[in-house]
Amino acid sequence: MRLAIGQYTATSAAGTGLVEMREAIHERRSGLRRNDLEACDLDTWIGRVANLEEVALPDSLTYLHSRNNQLAWLGLQQDGMLDAIAELKQRIGSDRVGVIIGTSTSSIARTEEAYANLLPSGAMPPEYCQPEVHNLHSPGIFVSEATGLEGPSMTISTACSSSAKVFASAMRWISHGLVDAVLVGGVDSLCMSILYGFNSLELVSPDLCRPFDERRNGINIGESCGYAILAKEDMITDAQFSLLGYGESSDAYHMSHPHPDGKGAVLAMSQALDRAGIAPNVIDYINLHGTASQANDRIEALALAQLFSEHTLASSTKAWTGHALGAAGILEAVITLEAMRYGIVPGTLNCDQPDPDFAFHVVRENVQRPLRYAMTNSFGFGGNNATLVFGHADD
Amino acid sequence: MRRWFSGMRMTRVDISGVGVWSEQFANWEEFRAVLGGSEAVLSSALKPELIPPKERRRAPQAVKMAIEVMDQACQMAGVDPSGVATVFASGMGDMQITDYMCRTLASTPRLVSPTRFHNSVHNASTGYWSIATGSHAPANAVSGYSHSVAIAILEAAVQASEENIPVLVVVEELAAPQPFKSVCDAELAFAAALLLSPSVAASSPMASMDIKVCRSEVDISAPLQVQGIDYSTNFAANILPLLSAVAAQDAAGLKLPLSRRTALQFSLSMERAPRTAHA
Repeated sequence: MRLAIGQYTATSAAGTGLVEMREAIHERRSGLRRNDLEACDLDTWIGRVANLEEVALPDSLTYLHSRNNQLAWLGLQQDGMLDAIAELKQRIGSDRVGVIIGTSTSSIARTEEAYANLLPSGAMPPEYCQPEVHNLHSPGIFVSEATGLEGPSMTISTACSSSAKVFASAMRWISHGLVDAVLVGGVDSLCMSILYGFNSLELVSPDLCRPFDERRNGINIGESCGYAILAKEDMITDAQFSLLGYGESSDAYHMSHPHPDGKGAVLAMSQALDRAGIAPNVIDYINLHGTASQANDRIEALALAQLFSEHTLASSTKAWTGHALGAAGILEAVITLEAMRYGIVPGTLNCDQPDPDFAFHVVRENVQRPLRYAMTNSFGFGGNNATLVFGHADD
Repeated sequence: MRRWFSGMRMTRVDISGVGVWSEQFANWEEFRAVLGGSEAVLSSALKPELIPPKERRRAPQAVKMAIEVMDQACQMAGVDPSGVATVFASGMGDMQITDYMCRTLASTPRLVSPTRFHNSVHNASTGYWSIATGSHAPANAVSGYSHSVAIAILEAAVQASEENIPVLVVVEELAAPQPFKSVCDAELAFAAALLLSPSVAASSPMASMDIKVCRSEVDISAPLQVQGIDYSTNFAANILPLLSAVAAQDAAGLKLPLSRRTALQFSLSMERAPRTAHA
């Protein structure tokens, strides 16, 4: 089974829509900025989407107001996504298109605000009484309502692998004949829970993050939204790319520390290659999880060395966007597809002194090269791992 | 004109194990007894044996409930818990931890507990399960808000069929803390798990289940009473009619809400199940 990938898009600190993101990557210009959130006094850098606060939801959907849904809506309006969805509905029927969205924290920023303004009775103030917002499925509800898609709608929340796993579920749904197409996506927005939560684990860097650099000292939190239309191959005849395989695994080790031998990561990558029916040595590019935390990068490098030679180009793009958590999977899937589209591998930004202890080295400068097969990794808390493999549709 | 959901296919899976927990019933046997008229004694005791005692003290209630019912379902089915994929679902997530996080953030944000933070991920239960059982199998954590039960069963059944593996689906909802009562007024915590296996003619499951998406509005405010306690405000308890049908060996069909306009239609059959098919 392979799926056609139709229209896709991504919005992050590195750009609203594909054109801005492409320019930022080709010019090696990071979207990160010093933390300027009023409600947060942490000394760090963040990947904030500019002017997100000013995005107005459609009149009929104002009851779903939250920063996360503003980001979901901003993202849907880029790169002709809404037109492509409308065309798909018209052609195959709104009930034959499912919706699967990944998020780690959903609309929690809105819940945080409600708690900062609780009434003396302990209840949320009336303007915050939004049942469809203060729950995990808020982005799935928003996207289904905003697009009018009427197939099954599900939100996946497995921390930082959430919106990589949307591709796996979509492949199963379509292969099974449950639906003919799925709008997959991921949305995660800046919130205090994540900033102070990662701070409590001493994982937030006061500097710009430096993936795979020996001086790396933690992550920068970012926000992002991305979407892709996945469908049976005969449903999208002009598709450029295909989803060839996915891998999903568990570490069985620790809630917030990866397996020391990279066992879960190796399993996810091997499974994805098996499903795609290709050998590791034909993978031309891997977009890494590469968070710039001490543990992640060390263990991801260890896992890569077990499967790949250094002829395989691999890089982290987190220094452009920050770690977009539950939206990292779709954001980096889209970055990977764009790398394949233009034949330009983004070299790891800020990796000036590669960690000499690593058994596998990442690419540091942008490289121009045609890419036949590419892969992306997403690893999350709870030891939850997902890997995706992409190829060209006409290959 | 094209018929709605005309292309939706039927999916057949076997239910090979069940787990259930609330303050009214601690397991499947007690659940069946309470349905049969035995008087329920409320108890919040919850000691999932699968989690080592030290870890158990640190584990949040949401995790303990999930692991308890997941373990029950695997034991009933007699399967190795490390060999099953997992799909966890909750509409609201761990409201107790959200309550803690949001209160702390509103007062002393730098004092957020790192343990509570990493326990706040929606996949905490499947993470603890993977650690406790040594399982490297795929683990999912999903939500469909008030429709979480139907979407989780659909996801798990499709995965079991497509990947030809047993999938353990667990649904749960906690009692809502005070600020959440304006948006979700679940009063009692509830958790249930089903071990779904690819339908194989040779096996002896508790029940076989055909599911299909259909266009139908299902009233989710209909009362779900168990001995005077109303579970209709607990999204996970949407599964009660299905559990009751399995308990009663009742082959009737039923529908659970999947969206405002759609439902997941279930037809249960017990032909291949031995007459004494329970724990």
